[in-house]
Amino acid sequence: MENAIEVKELTKFFGSLLAVDQVTFEVRGKEIFGLLGPNGAGKTTTIRMICGMLRPTSGTVVIAGFDVSQKPQEVKRRIGLVPDISNLFGELSARVNLEFMGKLYGLDKKTRRERIDQVLELFQLKERQNDLVKYYSKGMHRRLTIAAALLHQPEILIMDEPTSGLDAQTARLVREIILNLNKEGRTILLTTHQIDEADRLVQRVGIIDHGRLIALNTPEQLKNNIEGMHALEIKILNGVDQQKWLPILRQIEGVDNITLAEGKIRILSKDLSQIIPTVVNLVDKNGGKIENISVAQPSLEDAFINLTGKSIREEPMSKEDYLKRRLARSGMR
Amino acid sequence: MKKFTPLNSLMNSIYIAENDLRQSFKSVRHVVWSLLFPIFMMFTFSFRASTTGQTDIEYIRDILVPGIVGMTAMFGSTNETMSIVWDKSLGVFDRILAAPVSSTSIIVGKTMAGAVMGVISAIVLLIIGSTIFNASFANIGAALLIILLASFSFTGIGTIISGLASEPREAMMLSNLLRFPMMLLGGVFFPISAMPMPLPYIARALPLTYATEALGAIQTGNPFTVFFDAIVLLIYTVGTVLFGSQILMRIMTR
Repeated sequence: MENAIEVKELTKFFGSLLAVDQVTFEVRGKEIFGLLGPNGAGKTTTIRMICGMLRPTSGTVVIAGFDVSQKPQEVKRRIGLVPDISNLFGELSARVNLEFMGKLYGLDKKTRRERIDQVLELFQLKERQNDLVKYYSKGMHRRLTIAAALLHQPEILIMDEPTSGLDAQTARLVREIILNLNKEGRTILLTTHQIDEADRLVQRVGIIDHGRLIALNTPEQLKNNIEGMHALEIKILNGVDQQKWLPILRQIEGVDNITLAEGKIRILSKDLSQIIPTVVNLVDKNGGKIENISVAQPSLEDAFINLTGKSIREEPMSKEDYLKRRLARSGMR
Repeated sequence: MKKFTPLNSLMNSIYIAENDLRQSFKSVRHVVWSLLFPIFMMFTFSFRASTTGQTDIEYIRDILVPGIVGMTAMFGSTNETMSIVWDKSLGVFDRILAAPVSSTSIIVGKTMAGAVMGVISAIVLLIIGSTIFNASFANIGAALLIILLASFSFTGIGTIISGLASEPREAMMLSNLLRFPMMLLGGVFFPISAMPMPLPYIARALPLTYATEALGAIQTGNPFTVFFDAIVLLIYTVGTVLFGSQILMRIMTR
């Protein structure tokens, strides 16, 4: 299948800060490709360079056969960008916002009207089309942002954290929309820091951390790559903070990694049969009581942990990552 | 879909300016408040006795009304350019730049919006001043030219401030730091000739001074002063708009 996007050795420095480091990947035509990484990993900076909004320090991006640095206008006609924040005009109605975007894409009045009606219908915003966008809910904002990116019917849709900050119901709706858009034949490149989203949505995923692409494969293959690894999930009672158990259980020989997610302790190990009795004994010895214990197949999160040595949810953003994120998103150098 | 031509670039600038102005006029309160301030100032100062030896009528006609008109252009234009700092923080430039629109089109559009807002606001005050205080802008063409040049200058200044500020509050503070001294020293309420040293020298560095002086000179029929002030305002316009554009370009293209 022909590549829709080709990113080669893309690098970006903000002063002395290295935000993106020699990132290389390609997105095949009509696939959903995900860039997975924690906040501040370099996803948004990469996206901004792909869309031609940020000049790379080095490296190239080719979209639909056009080099972004040489033919930005050709590229822009072929892509639709859904940024991670809603940047529509709050003082204007949804229809007026879409009218404005349609004009910028050079759609004539008739086509503009037809497409606006189509996307408003598709995203269930028709009834509220004349309301000011500032009165919209988060979910409506998100839908309208996607609608605005689809107005010119782009071949490639680039979505930065499409479900970030949405409630579960709206996130599900947005995921359905993404899958439908892909079924219609659109190539989708999305970034996410949500493992389950990447697992559910994308056909191939690139894991990005500290500006570097550290793995690229299908989610299934990434999980299979943790050869012989199994996951043990336990929930310990006694009102003790689950977090306190982590250093205790980490001491057990054979534990490759241990994280806390959704109130459960997740232990990764190649030899579960050996460590389960030790875990049970250790919990008992320390006055704990196991409420629930189960064995699971490795998830994409386990693959992520295995690759990066940390959980995607584990660490707050470092000062440097925060700075990189601000630089990537603001108008500052 | 359209090709990328100079005409399309200009059209994009017009769409951007139209969109900005639409947002400004959408907020009725915003428009009313921005006009109420100069109207209030015009009426308040019209009641005071002149301290410059001029009659009250001369003071109002030659100093106050031209000054308020120039000042309104300043507030109108600089307020409009505050949208730039919001656009920066909300990522609006990203949305526009993701479309086939050049950075230059955005800069031209933003500048057009600022200048149009300055001109419209100033014209409202010019009409009020002419109607109520009998200020006669006999050469309306020259008056409009001065208002237009002044509005472009103030738009340039506003763009520089909004481009440099990291967030809206900072932009508003920086803007007021410049606008209020300019209002007091720009010959709006007190003629420069009545100012103690070294204030006249400071006043001569401010674009509002030239706008006020030129509009006053149109009242008194002094074409040389109008011409000289127009040239100075043109230099200010070129300088501030170019510098502001550089800052915006740097933000958008990096």
